Amino acid sequence: MSQNRREFLKKAGLGALAGLGAAAGLFPAFALEQTDMSSFTDKPVPGKVRWGMLIDTRKCLGNCTECIVRCHHDHNVPDFGKSKSEVKWIWKSGYENAFPTASTQFQNPEVLERQVLTLCNHCSEPPCTKACPTEATFKRWDGIVSIDYHRCIGCRFCMAACPYGSRSFNWEDPRPKVKELSTAYPTRMRGVVEKCNFCSERLVKGELPACVVSCAENALTFGDLNKPDSEIRKLLAANETMQRKPELGTLPSVFYII
Amino acid sequence: MNKFSQLLAAIAAGLAVFVAAWFFIQAGHHGSVPAIAADAVAPAAASPAKGAPIDSSKCILPTDYMRAHHMQELNKWRKDSVRDGNRTFVNPEGAHFDKSLNTCMGCHGSNPMFCFMCHEYANVKPTCWNCHLSPMEVPQ
Repeated sequence: MSQNRREFLKKAGLGALAGLGAAAGLFPAFALEQTDMSSFTDKPVPGKVRWGMLIDTRKCLGNCTECIVRCHHDHNVPDFGKSKSEVKWIWKSGYENAFPTASTQFQNPEVLERQVLTLCNHCSEPPCTKACPTEATFKRWDGIVSIDYHRCIGCRFCMAACPYGSRSFNWEDPRPKVKELSTAYPTRMRGVVEKCNFCSERLVKGELPACVVSCAENALTFGDLNKPDSEIRKLLAANETMQRKPELGTLPSVFYII
Repeated sequence: MNKFSQLLAAIAAGLAVFVAAWFFIQAGHHGSVPAIAADAVAPAAASPAKGAPIDSSKCILPTDYMRAHHMQELNKWRKDSVRDGNRTFVNPEGAHFDKSLNTCMGCHGSNPMFCFMCHEYANVKPTCWNCHLSPMEVPQ
């Protein structure tokens, strides 16, 4: 019986397919792409740092802007004087703006009038990093959502992706608009997006973020959310807390006591 | 040879080709674990990145080498410290340095024109000082 080329290739293909099936059964890792599942969980992962912040809105009252002033000075955040091109790392929002999906029906009027401190949530599932075409913004090993300003091309996809409005764009050269230049931190240039970096430059030195240190009322608590005995985890366990827009599944690392 | 044994031979050949291809692919991927693209991989030391104390008493590498390769070295430091969280540089003599522009400026910042003299002469325009504060802008 003759065997032509076509017949042989058909059967060889069948053999390769059988081999693939056998390999997938023998080595499960080969069948499915490996995914680091710890990135998708909202449960603490031991041994992996995830920095987080707890803001006690009961203590953060009145018109105090100490943390905002301190942060914006330390990080050379420019003031363009226009709300349209405002650059902000940490700011105060009205209760209903900060928690637009929280129920306000018959809510305590004092709570509704509160100004809530808002900043980048350093989400566990950040939508901004997925939108960035150059991987300029990325989730660091310690859970901080960081921007590599060297790589940012200013497309502002991340600003559109962020559900919290945590990102600002430098429409003009920010250097002349910085009131008092802090020599400990660089400025940005025109055409890059910037936001809170959880004071990663201070964490390297073993210091707490500037906003936490500057708060006279101790309303801000900073710590490792993956460490069960950290102060922030104890406070989270002892108090009723909220995250901003939790229904989006971004798993914010900033929590609020109302 | 009957039809059945021919089929068996063809399947065996296909399997052999597959196994060879599979080992070839595995060798190419040796040791790599696929991760989510946007997530940075944890640095070798699992602890939060801690920098070495800023030591500016001597240059990290010989002057001749730095004169020719400081740009590559700075780019490497930038990637290591910003993206990988690996902040400590150990030079061949075993001295530790923080991978930061401040390490360089601790020494070279004393001459405000240090960078500019050569860059002016070579007509190169690095963008470092668009954001970083140059020694001309930092009060000595």
